[in-house]
This record gives sequence, structure tokens and C-alpha cells, in this order.
Amino acid sequence: MRKNSITNIQMEQEENEINLTPMLDVVFIMLIFFIVTASFIRETGLDVNRPDQDQPQVVSNEEGAILVIIDDTDDIWIDNRIVDPRAVSANITRLYAENPDRPVVVQAAPDSSAETLVGVMDASRLAGVFNISIAGGQ
Amino acid sequence: MRNIREQLNEEEETEINLTPMLDVVFIMLIFFIVTAVFVKEPGAEVNRPDAQTAFTPDSGSIFVAVTGNNEIWVDRSEVGIEGVRPAIERIRAENPEGGVVIQADTEASNQFVIAVMDAAKAAGVDNITIAAAVP
Repeated sequence: MRKNSITNIQMEQEENEINLTPMLDVVFIMLIFFIVTASFIRETGLDVNRPDQDQPQVVSNEEGAILVIIDDTDDIWIDNRIVDPRAVSANITRLYAENPDRPVVVQAAPDSSAETLVGVMDASRLAGVFNISIAGGQ
Repeated sequence: MRNIREQLNEEEETEINLTPMLDVVFIMLIFFIVTAVFVKEPGAEVNRPDAQTAFTPDSGSIFVAVTGNNEIWVDRSEVGIEGVRPAIERIRAENPEGGVVIQADTEASNQFVIAVMDAAKAAGVDNITIAAAVP
């Protein structure tokens, strides 16, 4: 009689408590899924400053911008001279030292390669000029 | 009577209470769901140009690839030059905070790269980045 009463009470208590373990399993699996897909796809890159099209800005050497022209054959022109890709940074440093606070404007010809464009942007950033605008060639 | 109580107490001791843990896990789950940005990969492999000053931008979730053959890929499908802007607008509608990352191949023509920049600007994205690898 006494034993029976104990089991009764125990049974009742077990009934009252919901078993959370399967739910916890599901929640854990969802958690792992979201952590994994939160896939911190981190792409390294360079910022691009593209002036608005509806307000075209005329750029010229006299106006103060450091103009770097990339022609169709991937030659880089600064100050009307062809510059070796490795010397771009030094040239920009020199021009920037003459007159600081000038932006760099890269004018890229349609058939020039993206590698050259990124190279010039990188050179400019190495020279300490972070204000880089990209202009389309004619 | 005392005997019953003791036995009940003992049983409670052996079972770990999972509720606080469940609370924590739920909060983590909600955090990850909210912060999850479903990045749309372009689906084309490109050869990134090298740049020593490349950095990791904060927000970039719209990827546009320009391959060496000047094909433009967005969200695992090739779009023409005029299809870039609608594609960017569509992805942007899902994730208004995301910036555009242009993955341009080293061989890609700047004509197309600049066209993608213009399309991104026209779609209202100010945060444009050109992908580059740190050598």
C-alpha cells in the first residue's frame, strides 16, 4: 500500500514535467546551422569613389587633382609621361608632396585591364592618398 | 511520510535543469538569425588582382563578378551589362544595408568594371568596393 502511493506520486511528477531534451536538440542544430551559414565571407578589397554621372566634374591638372590616365594598352600616364607601374606610387607621392590634399583621379580607358586599375589605386593608397576617384575614359 | 519526501528530493537532484541553458541557446539562436546576412555569391571564379593596401570592408553582401571574358555574374547567373542594375536592386531590396563588391578579374576590361560601378550607383549603393587580394 505504501509502496503503491510512492509510485503514484512519482508518476504524477514525471507527467507534469515536459521533456525538453528533443527540443534542445533541434534548437542546437538550428544554432549550428546559423553559425555556419553566417559564413563570414570576408572579401578584401579597395574602396571605390565613382563621381555621380549627372554632375560631371571636369578634371584637369591645373585644377589640382592628380590625374592618372590608363590607356587601352595598359600604359599609365602621369603628367604626360608614361610611368612604369612600379613607379606610380613614387610619382603620386611626389605630386602629392608638391600640393597636399589633392585627390587622385584615375581615368581608365575602356579596354584597359582591371589589374592596372587596382594597381594604380593600390599605388595611390600606398602613397597616402586615399581620396581616389575613377573616371571613365572616352 | 518522511521517507517519501526524501525519495522525491533525491530524484530531483539527479535531473539537471535544462531551462536556463535553453534560454541562453535561444538567445544565441535569435542573434545568429538576425545577424545572418545571406551572401549571394556571384558564381564565377575570378583571378583577383593584388593590392598591398587591401582591407576588409564592413559591409559587402552584393557580389558582382566580372570575368576575364567580360561576362558579368550576379547571384549565380550571368547577366548582361544592362541586367546588372535590376539584379543589384533585387538583392538590395532583401538587404538594404549591403554594399557592392565588384570582383573583377585581372583581365577584365575597365569599361565593364566602370559600367558595373555606374549600375551600382544608379541602384542607390554608395558603398562600392573592388575586390583585391593581399599578396
